[in-house]
Amino acid sequence: MIWLVLGVTVSALLAFTVGYYAGISSVEEPLPTEEDESFTIVDDYGRSITLEKIPQRIVSSAPSPTEILFAVGAGNQLVGVDDYSDYPAATANITKVGSYPLNVETIIALAPDLIVGSDLVPRVQLEQLEDEGIPYVLFADRTLEDVLKTIRLAGIITGHVEQANSVAENLSLRVDAVKMKTLAENVSKPKVYVEYYELWTYGPGSFGDDLIALAGGTNIAHNASSEYPNVESEFVIAQDPEVIVYTVGVMSTTTADSIAARPGWDNISAVENDMIYSIDDNLMSRYGPRIVDALEQLAAIIHPELFS
Amino acid sequence: MDHLAAQKDSETTSEEYLRVLRRRTLILSALPFALLISAFLAVFIGTAGPLGPGVIDQEGHHERISFGDAIDAILNAHGDWPYDYHAVFWDVRIPRVLLAGLVGAALACSGTAMQAVFRNPMADPFIVGVSSGASLGAVVVEVTGLGALVAIGTIMSPVFAFITALVTVLVVYSLGTVRGRVYVDTLLLSGVAVAAFLSALVSFLIYFAHLEYHRIIFWLLGSLAQATWPAVATVALAVGVGSMLIFLFSRDLNALLLGEETAHNLGADPEFLKTLMLVVAAVMTSAAVAFTGVIGFIGLIIPHMMRIAVGADHRILLPSATLAGATFLILADSVARTVISPNALPVGIITALSGGPFFLYLLRRSRTESER
Amino acid sequence: MRFEVRNLSFSFGDKRVLRDISFEAADGEFLGLMGPNGSGKTTLLRCMTHYLQTEENRIFINGKPLQSLTSTDLAKTFAVVPQSSSTDFTFSAHDIVMMGRFPHMSSRLAGYGKVDDAIVRSAMEKTNTWHFAARPFYALSGGERQRVIIARAIAQQPQGLLLDEPTVYLDINGQLEVMDLIKKLNRSEGISVVAVLHDVNLAARYCDRIALLSQGRLEAIASPKEVLTPELIQSVYGVDVVVRKDPFSETVYVVPHSTVSVVPKHGTRVHLLCGGGTGGPIMKALFDAGFVVSVGVLNVLDSDFENANDMHLATVAEVPFAPISDSAHGENLRKIQESSAIVMSPFPVGPGNIRNLEAARTAARSGKAVFILEHDPEKGIDFVGGKADGFIKELISSGAVLVKDVGELLGRLSCGGIK
Repeated sequence: MIWLVLGVTVSALLAFTVGYYAGISSVEEPLPTEEDESFTIVDDYGRSITLEKIPQRIVSSAPSPTEILFAVGAGNQLVGVDDYSDYPAATANITKVGSYPLNVETIIALAPDLIVGSDLVPRVQLEQLEDEGIPYVLFADRTLEDVLKTIRLAGIITGHVEQANSVAENLSLRVDAVKMKTLAENVSKPKVYVEYYELWTYGPGSFGDDLIALAGGTNIAHNASSEYPNVESEFVIAQDPEVIVYTVGVMSTTTADSIAARPGWDNISAVENDMIYSIDDNLMSRYGPRIVDALEQLAAIIHPELFS
Repeated sequence: MDHLAAQKDSETTSEEYLRVLRRRTLILSALPFALLISAFLAVFIGTAGPLGPGVIDQEGHHERISFGDAIDAILNAHGDWPYDYHAVFWDVRIPRVLLAGLVGAALACSGTAMQAVFRNPMADPFIVGVSSGASLGAVVVEVTGLGALVAIGTIMSPVFAFITALVTVLVVYSLGTVRGRVYVDTLLLSGVAVAAFLSALVSFLIYFAHLEYHRIIFWLLGSLAQATWPAVATVALAVGVGSMLIFLFSRDLNALLLGEETAHNLGADPEFLKTLMLVVAAVMTSAAVAFTGVIGFIGLIIPHMMRIAVGADHRILLPSATLAGATFLILADSVARTVISPNALPVGIITALSGGPFFLYLLRRSRTESER
Repeated sequence: MRFEVRNLSFSFGDKRVLRDISFEAADGEFLGLMGPNGSGKTTLLRCMTHYLQTEENRIFINGKPLQSLTSTDLAKTFAVVPQSSSTDFTFSAHDIVMMGRFPHMSSRLAGYGKVDDAIVRSAMEKTNTWHFAARPFYALSGGERQRVIIARAIAQQPQGLLLDEPTVYLDINGQLEVMDLIKKLNRSEGISVVAVLHDVNLAARYCDRIALLSQGRLEAIASPKEVLTPELIQSVYGVDVVVRKDPFSETVYVVPHSTVSVVPKHGTRVHLLCGGGTGGPIMKALFDAGFVVSVGVLNVLDSDFENANDMHLATVAEVPFAPISDSAHGENLRKIQESSAIVMSPFPVGPGNIRNLEAARTAARSGKAVFILEHDPEKGIDFVGGKADGFIKELISSGAVLVKDVGELLGRLSCGGIK
């Protein structure tokens, strides 16, 4: 009997794979170009995409790419953004195309020539749209350097190379300005605890961890076991951070008082010295130009003596 | 009993019996039409219309496609409408409606077979661990980032989900079988235990890997958003073969309902039957779940609804339930797509919300009828 | 259909249920399987239906070993009727019977046809169930359900029927209905029957032969008369019975009856004058109370003679249709002499047994305590032209005690120091 079951399972798997590949339709041929304005770019996932011309009808499927596109001056090339793109203010007037999942019909209706996404978007839908002849580009940012690279890429894609480069330059300068002060010799690195949700913090490999380091702090969760760990209350107490930062967003209920009121936390240096600060959630989670704003704010919080 | 009265009684009985039979066959023959009509309607439902809120097109106008243009777009390569909507119908709506129908059919058919094998009205197609097994596969793909791989990333999730679902069924099956004999009570409890364990594992993975909930919730609640032609082809193959096999054994299932010993004495081999049904149902359900996530209620409620309508004879019940399941999911998905348009709800929410109360109503009606 | 069981042993794990059983059920025979709870009869039946796997070459149907036949073959050869059937699902009676055609399906694709419909109808008419064919099975009474199951069995067109205590949940009406139906099928259509039965008297009525099992062993297999003996029943069931013949048929029936007194005997002797069946209850009451009872004079065909014999009491007998002879009377008097008390039941007095009254008078005159049980005033017991009434009056006036019933009798006996 076990052989019957195994046999059926194997044939089922085979049938499955056959069925799957049998159904894959061919990708539409790209339309022939009149003048050869086409260029090829490589996105953050190593995918080569050839665009016939500078895209004028871009759909962004995540907030970070939206902000980057606006920053490089491609704001009026955007015809669609996802539900969560809310910065800058101009996004309010742009057609919303869903988020997870995307509303494919709305997107097709807009007749876009490019979709820009981050790795949060369902790949199946992007491939569906690709089959309709709409290419997609993926941005994936893990570090500040990645963001700068992506900004420059966005400039190439949208035909705003100069503006993109200058934005990237500017950001780079601002980052250097911060680093000069925070990473200088003899500058202390106070212990910092940043939480984006009650007892959830940034661990090694995360953007937040990076920012804290650049802002001249020591992330108490730097040696945690995952990127976005959930830490124990006693861990924070034991680490005794000198600075506590929490993010505020639309749904948050945390306040400085609520943190100070946590049982056992009154002896933490940060609480005793009233060094509890808030920072806009979006600044920390949108991997676009505003991440540098986050860096600057963090640095000012951690080293008020350097940034008065 | 008076002979004449008995004779008269037997005449009315056969009339009554034929009447019931005729009514049931009528319901069964009406179902394919209901399915076709629902499918037809569902194709016209969507954000761009005709049955929908409409979209903003490239000139910034708010447009809703008309029925005529829609039919045109379906039939012709390039419709008259502002843009090529032919693609939307053929690559988005029609695969979605087809997948909904196929998955609904798979779940309802498997559910009916499972209720017969376990002789338990609470059995559903996920009872042997398919749902938690498949969830595990899908979450593993997300957690390990396999889904992000270029070129084969999108096939990872369904393949993994399918494999883990089947492996789970194998484990549960071997737990419930001793020396070639399938003990359905043990099987049921093993299924519950394994499902609980895997669910805990899934939750752990989601928590530990700090998985964005919205990625996995559509899968856990069931969604037809990722309906593509490859998916349709695969599920069609599984459902086509699987349901035919199950239909073929309708009479055996009837006998099984009376008890395994009775089934044996009537010549239906209960051990072979149980194993066959489990395997076929597992494959069908796993194939469906691999692409759409866990859509609940259909496999449990549709068989019961149809049993009230057409009786417990599997020769009529199985095809009825299969068709009804397909119709129901198509309708539920249409609602899921339009109720908060242009956004979509996970279809599993719709099936649960609507299936439950409607079934309770039917149950009430059938009880009061039989008490008369 | 011929069944042959050769040296069949069966165990559930370590527990031995059947030990080396061999027997044959002939074609057309009605064989009953009986035994106390736990004797293995249901297990034996399940081995015969091949629901339980046995060693090879132990059970043969029509000469072929059970293992060589597929379950479809088996289903076409014999049909099984279980104790009870129930289902929560809404199958109609007709649906249930139609399932009996399952083994005859030519292919799964073809399904059932007109021939099957006709066979189902005929089976249901034979079992008087056609008039509720459309009713849901669960709504039927126990007896109706069993008849539907039998109809299903008939629809299988079997050569034999195997039944597992088919009447256990039925009232007496239902029991007779079902058994009569099975007997009819057995006799008129030649369908062999092997039935596990728990009711001894039902088995005695219907079976050609009875196989008696005890603790997994076959103790006996023979006609009911030969198997249902008090000795065998006592050794298998541990119950004392008396076996009588049904006055209207040749069958035997079994009456539980203990010949062991509960109360220790105190040796007091009582002699009972009785006849016409009036003495039975009195004998038993006295016996149970610990008295040593003797009885006489009784005509050999009198039912009280049978009763006394069944109780192994000392009896003075007389040949049928003859008046009490001198020797019998003498013996009677001797018994009276040996007893401490004399009891007279309200037996009908005729010229044949009037000397019993003379014996009573003799007893009274010699000072023995005499107790006379009142007779029902509606029923006259004097068939000797008033002499009996005269005797009784005389007895009473010389000291015999008139008692109303057995209870009062026993009370008087103990009070009167006669223990």
